[in-house]
Amino acid sequence: MVDVNKLREIAREVISREDVRELIGYRPGTYGFRARPAFVMGPDEVDELIFTPACVNNLASYIALEEKPPVRRGEEPDLRKVAVMVKGCDSRALVQQMEEKAYDRDQILVLGIPCTGVVDMAKVQERFPDVLEPAEITLEGDKFILSFNGSKEEVPGEELLAEKCKRCRYPTPLVYDELLDEEVERFADDDYSDVEALENRSVEEKWDYWEEKFSRCIRCYSCRNVCPMCYCEDCVLDRLQPMWMRRSVDISENTAYHVARAYHLAGRCIQCGECERVCPVDIPLMELNRKFYKDVEDLYDYEPGTEVEAEPLLSTFSVDDSEEFIM
Amino acid sequence: MAENNSDFEPDIVAFLCNWCSYAGADLAGTSRVHYPSNVRVIRVMCSGRVNPLFVMNALQQGADGVIVAGCHPGDCHYMTGNYYARRRFNLMRNFLEYLGVEPERVRMSWVSASEGTKWKEVVEEVTEDIKKIGPMDKFKRRQLNW
Repeated sequence: MVDVNKLREIAREVISREDVRELIGYRPGTYGFRARPAFVMGPDEVDELIFTPACVNNLASYIALEEKPPVRRGEEPDLRKVAVMVKGCDSRALVQQMEEKAYDRDQILVLGIPCTGVVDMAKVQERFPDVLEPAEITLEGDKFILSFNGSKEEVPGEELLAEKCKRCRYPTPLVYDELLDEEVERFADDDYSDVEALENRSVEEKWDYWEEKFSRCIRCYSCRNVCPMCYCEDCVLDRLQPMWMRRSVDISENTAYHVARAYHLAGRCIQCGECERVCPVDIPLMELNRKFYKDVEDLYDYEPGTEVEAEPLLSTFSVDDSEEFIM
Repeated sequence: MAENNSDFEPDIVAFLCNWCSYAGADLAGTSRVHYPSNVRVIRVMCSGRVNPLFVMNALQQGADGVIVAGCHPGDCHYMTGNYYARRRFNLMRNFLEYLGVEPERVRMSWVSASEGTKWKEVVEEVTEDIKKIGPMDKFKRRQLNW
């Protein structure tokens, strides 16, 4: 676990630096177990920063999504760094963004958090509904300690841990300037059993499964908006000319939307699971992303978000790429 | 479904690259090769021009199958376009299969300008396969009657 005093001390040092504009971290949410992003602009604000297993958000999204208004005449552009707190999975989003040249390494300052796993808020909510007062979750050993209303509850880690953490390959951030704790041993590996189970169904069963999921979609685009890799300024979904898919909410357009969203993350998705977390109708979006993740690994031996110097998968090719499917 | 498919005539959209496959299909025409008339050709400058969303769009608009054809690897007029296309469509095909679209519906082939007969074989094979699996009715776009 990250020592909160050490975290705040380092944060204060960082935000006091001349070349740092702001620091993006976590602070307690307004109710229940939730934590929310904190945008710290000065040293007097660092005392609210925390890191607990409730800090589920991927803060890498904010860096690429930040609006950069044109510089007014006579003004100098603000070239100061943005400091950001990242868990292992979030750091891969940074790596992938840098691989795609979204920004340079020297434009950000990374505070790495070796992560021992975060909770799945939906599971917490289910288990402890109606907790409205600020409450806290900590991880001790392999148990989550939930303190609320003056009482304490112990829950085995397995029961509340987010799915993505159970198959996390990179708990320690891959890029960082400051590491806030001891490195964490890799504690799990991914066997793609969920993807394979779905792959082995018949064509009809697969479509029945997805038809039910896609027809639930209300096209709120939360999954796109929260995604750290969906940072195009001009998104195909917003385009009117050409209109790639219509706005109507029906199975045809919903399917097209989900194919487009998942395809645009092929070889780019770093499996932070944010899309699935924010989905208001619980569509298993990670099952779509993980299919591409698995294929990309099997076919092209490529893992997104692990190497800044790598070339993005679909903007390169190899003469020896697989050709089995070609007639 | 399989019983009444005997008179089902599929609509197949083919994206052909200008330099090889379109010329190959043209050669099939000028050499009076007979092949099924179910295919609707769209000429693109390179198979690398074909966005995987084109395939989606064709299927939404009522195509029963899609063929993407380009120059053989190494023969691309733009040197490398077909290599990129190959990566994209390998992933796209696997993904559509994962969603429950029969993989026979989305096909890719290399047809050079001199392969009029290969084009004929490709079209025959695809048409036959799609006749077997029947019409694509999974996510066809709803037609609006104003």
